[in-house]
Amino acid sequence: MPFKSLSLVGLVLVSSVSLTTHAAEDWSKIEQAAKGQTVYFNAWGGGEAINQYIDWAAEQAKQRYAITVKHVKITDAAEVVKRIQTEQQAGRTSDGSVDLIWVNGENFSALKREQLLYGPWAEQLPNWVNVDTTKPVQQDFSESTDGLEAPWGTAQLTFIADRSKLPTPPDSAAALLVFAKQNPGRVSYPKPPSFHGTTFLKQLLLELNPEASVLGKPVEAEAFAKLTQPLWAYLDELHSVAWQQGKSFPASDAEMHQKLADGELLISLSFNPNEAASLIASKRLPETAYSFGFKKGTIGNVHFLAIPFNAKAKEAAQVFANFLLSPEAQAHKADLKTWGDPSVLLASKLPNQALNPSVLPTDVPTLAEPHASWVEALEKEWIKRYGS
Amino acid sequence: MLQVQQLSIQQTSQTLIQNLSFKVQPGEILTLMGASGVGKSTLLAWMIGALPAAFTATGQCLLNQQRIDILPTEQRRVGILFQDDLLFPHLSVGANLAFALPATIKELDRQQRIDTALEQAGLVGFAKRDPNSLSGGQRARVSVLRALLAEPQALLLDEPFSRLDAKLRQQFRSFVFAQITQMKIPAVLVTHDLADAPNKDCIIQL
Amino acid sequence: MDSGLSCVAWLGVLLILGLPLLGLVPIFGAGLQASAWQLLWADPQVMPALKLTLFSASLSTILALLLACALVFLFYPAKTWQRLQQQAPIFLAIPHAAFAIGLVFLLAPSGWLVRVVSPVFAWTAPPTGLITTQDPYALSLSLALLLKETWFLLWVLTGLINQQWLMKQSLVAQTLGYTRWQAGWQILFPQLLKPLAWPLLAVFAYGLSVVDMSLILGPSTPPTLAVLAWQWFADPDPSQQLKAQSLALLLIGLLVLGASCAYSLYKLLHTLLARPKGRRKRAYGTFIFKPLVKYLVTLPFWLSLSLLVLWSLADGWFFPQILPANLGLNAWQKAELETLLLTLFIASCSILISLPLALIWLEWGNKHQAYLYLPLIIPALPFTAAQYQIALLLNLDGSLLAVIWSHLAWVLPYMLLVLSGAYQSLDARYLLTAKTLGYKTWQACLYIKWPLLLRPILAACAVGFAVSVAQYLPTLFVGGGRIETISTEAVSLSSGGNRSTLAIQAVLQTLLPLLGFILASGLSRWYARRHPGLN
Repeated sequence: MPFKSLSLVGLVLVSSVSLTTHAAEDWSKIEQAAKGQTVYFNAWGGGEAINQYIDWAAEQAKQRYAITVKHVKITDAAEVVKRIQTEQQAGRTSDGSVDLIWVNGENFSALKREQLLYGPWAEQLPNWVNVDTTKPVQQDFSESTDGLEAPWGTAQLTFIADRSKLPTPPDSAAALLVFAKQNPGRVSYPKPPSFHGTTFLKQLLLELNPEASVLGKPVEAEAFAKLTQPLWAYLDELHSVAWQQGKSFPASDAEMHQKLADGELLISLSFNPNEAASLIASKRLPETAYSFGFKKGTIGNVHFLAIPFNAKAKEAAQVFANFLLSPEAQAHKADLKTWGDPSVLLASKLPNQALNPSVLPTDVPTLAEPHASWVEALEKEWIKRYGS
Repeated sequence: MLQVQQLSIQQTSQTLIQNLSFKVQPGEILTLMGASGVGKSTLLAWMIGALPAAFTATGQCLLNQQRIDILPTEQRRVGILFQDDLLFPHLSVGANLAFALPATIKELDRQQRIDTALEQAGLVGFAKRDPNSLSGGQRARVSVLRALLAEPQALLLDEPFSRLDAKLRQQFRSFVFAQITQMKIPAVLVTHDLADAPNKDCIIQL
Repeated sequence: MDSGLSCVAWLGVLLILGLPLLGLVPIFGAGLQASAWQLLWADPQVMPALKLTLFSASLSTILALLLACALVFLFYPAKTWQRLQQQAPIFLAIPHAAFAIGLVFLLAPSGWLVRVVSPVFAWTAPPTGLITTQDPYALSLSLALLLKETWFLLWVLTGLINQQWLMKQSLVAQTLGYTRWQAGWQILFPQLLKPLAWPLLAVFAYGLSVVDMSLILGPSTPPTLAVLAWQWFADPDPSQQLKAQSLALLLIGLLVLGASCAYSLYKLLHTLLARPKGRRKRAYGTFIFKPLVKYLVTLPFWLSLSLLVLWSLADGWFFPQILPANLGLNAWQKAELETLLLTLFIASCSILISLPLALIWLEWGNKHQAYLYLPLIIPALPFTAAQYQIALLLNLDGSLLAVIWSHLAWVLPYMLLVLSGAYQSLDARYLLTAKTLGYKTWQACLYIKWPLLLRPILAACAVGFAVSVAQYLPTLFVGGGRIETISTEAVSLSSGGNRSTLAIQAVLQTLLPLLGFILASGLSRWYARRHPGLN
């Protein structure tokens, strides 16, 4: 799709030229206003490496911009969405409890639909020029971001296994099924509608329907029935040889990792290409763990930062988001020793990094997400077939 | 015959009872007297096998020539009456009595035995009543009936009269003593009122 | 004075429970719509989840009751009983989720028990046919609930059983030829049921509404109803929210249904007992039965706790190692003192407010108090959202005061629960005596009644303290995410699934309530020694 990327670059160039002088002035105003503000950054708190990275970023923000960043550790962004909804219902249109939220997918679309977001602001950030717009940074699960959220990192579905038990990994959905039959009771996936479970379904759907362009369009009953038919056939076969005969599923990717470490499963999956490396570092997986993808590619997407409509420190939140988009912060984030979350910036803006074998090989292509409406339809049908 | 031989009871370092021995013949009532705290109730507790953990005892207790102090409470066949009637509040008067009757007495007989017993105690028609609806004197009589319907081989009385007023007390005392004589079992009465003792020759001062 | 205190009681209860319940009215109004119910019943997960939930909640409640009573009848007041009493604070203090995690470490197909026997069977990988946790019949979930609730009921029973007339009744039954075991079930059990009614209902409600334990130990296809409600309430999709609202109503309905079934059973029991047959049974097999019961209620806790501590120190621990390869304090060094102190402060304030209010309520409030226990059964998410809405309206969100207030909705009912049984079975003549001596009701309470109830009061404080420490959602919501306690810390860190972190948080979450329980039982024993005449 050379035409599309060219036009996008052109668009960015045009907008950045016209905004340059104006924007610099505006931005210094924002930086001024941000001084002394406190940003309550509501972000998932389950990853120690991530928490440490946020601590580091908060320290930098304090030194450079006199902004205080407080990491509000949450378990699920949906809780924060609920909190913001409650604030709106109670008429709290300013001084809300959330200044910046780490979000994507359906939580973003809910916030956007109910007009609970501030903006557009993301594409006016000075560091926006560094962003690799060939990545889906302006589409969040096929929902246009409209500048209401700034990209923070990229993710790609990654499988994890232990080399001492699985020297040559399956390289396609079909190979995975063969492998599962050879090793009954050792393969599973997180239960949909959990994020990772649904992603696994979408991965299979894409691979079993390689030519179907309708996956990028809103779902229709007829297409759904036709395209998902091979998926259910595949799952019926997989479940009969899966962990606990497919009567039970791990709740999350974390539980998958644990079961991989315990030897109950032979394959785990993650949305972070560097997950295996950080799991090894924290001694949660043996050193023989490694990542792999499918030959024809795995699903990838982007995660974002958004500011609620009633945020108290909107300026400081933007300044902090801008810092998080800086080459320095992005490079530090991508560093395996800190977090290992891949950057959203143009490769030319970042220092070269040595590749680690536990990381997903770069030759695994990234597949685009199907249209967001497929998610709900898939989850519903899955629950109907296997949920009880 | 109920026999206690060489009983001593200690509480930590303090000796409550030392080398006590006595015999009680069937139909006879032995009275144990003494001030509060000398160990009267503790002695009865030992005899039924419910000595609190703070006490230690040496000595033997025999009932009809068999040692019972080594048996669990429920196998000793020794009944007891406390100061409180301790009727089971969730059971009717009749059910309280039925609970005491041996299982060998079946269905209709059980009802009959209960009715007869209640009649003896002047409580005709009380079987269906809730124990809480009875007066103190009535409850006391039911508790005696209950103890005796279990067909004990001996009966212990732990100040059972002290809560009743003078007139009731007189009546109740003779009711209890008559029952014991009729059943021909040995009995031990603990009291600190000399008037309670049925036989002034049969008193041990603790 | 009396009417004043009555007003205080009502005002307090209205502030703590009435306000958020009012906020729930629109939610439940929406849940009543026919379309919402259609959506609910159309979901294929609901019917099987309903059966599963009813099964696990009733099974665990009934068995916990029987087990707790069996413990009393077998061991009270012997040495074993005292040893059990000494261990009780630890088992009570372990939060449900922490215990569930420990049980997974113990029972899972890759868990410690399997590792111990794996050399015998030459297993190099966990056996695949073995489904011990997350089983489709929710048996492991029921077991965990059963064990945990047995100790809660035992804690309540301890306060009741100390009343001497009860044990004297058992003694009388024994002199009539019945074993202690028989006397227990036929004489004590029917009488204990009445004061145990509310605690039992709370146990049942807990079994119906528990989310964290179900997630850890329960099945997933389908999960229990509470997990479904939790997922749907958290879903931004309005139709899921609607289903969640109906489900919340359904859960309340199930509680009412359970309570009426329990009442019928209670009546049935009394009818059955009304015609004693006089059958005396010998005590057989106690030498096996007694240790079996004793270890059943203690060993799982000790093993789970040991595994939690081991995991918190483990630096890499893979199947089939029985012990971790390396131990280290790395993970522990990140624990924060500040959150611990804040948690302590919030919990202390919660019981300092709840205790007087509970006592005033019991004396001057309303005797029919079913609605006070609503927070124990309503799914936490909508209730907490309602609390947050009020805090927002009053501009108190994010303040310590509001967080403490939000905890009271759970602390107060639990304290009432522990207190009310003992309160109602206290001999009314004490208070009457004091009044005839010329004291006013409040004076009589202050000088006579409440000191007499010191031990149940201490027990209630310990429970209230533990309940406050365990609150996650209200702290996160009403605190606007700005007030960090060990629970918010524990839950958010645990979502990463790192077992060492999980174990540390579980141990930390156990330690603080443990202090409360140890303090309560220590004070209680000291008081009992000073006043041996006290029940």
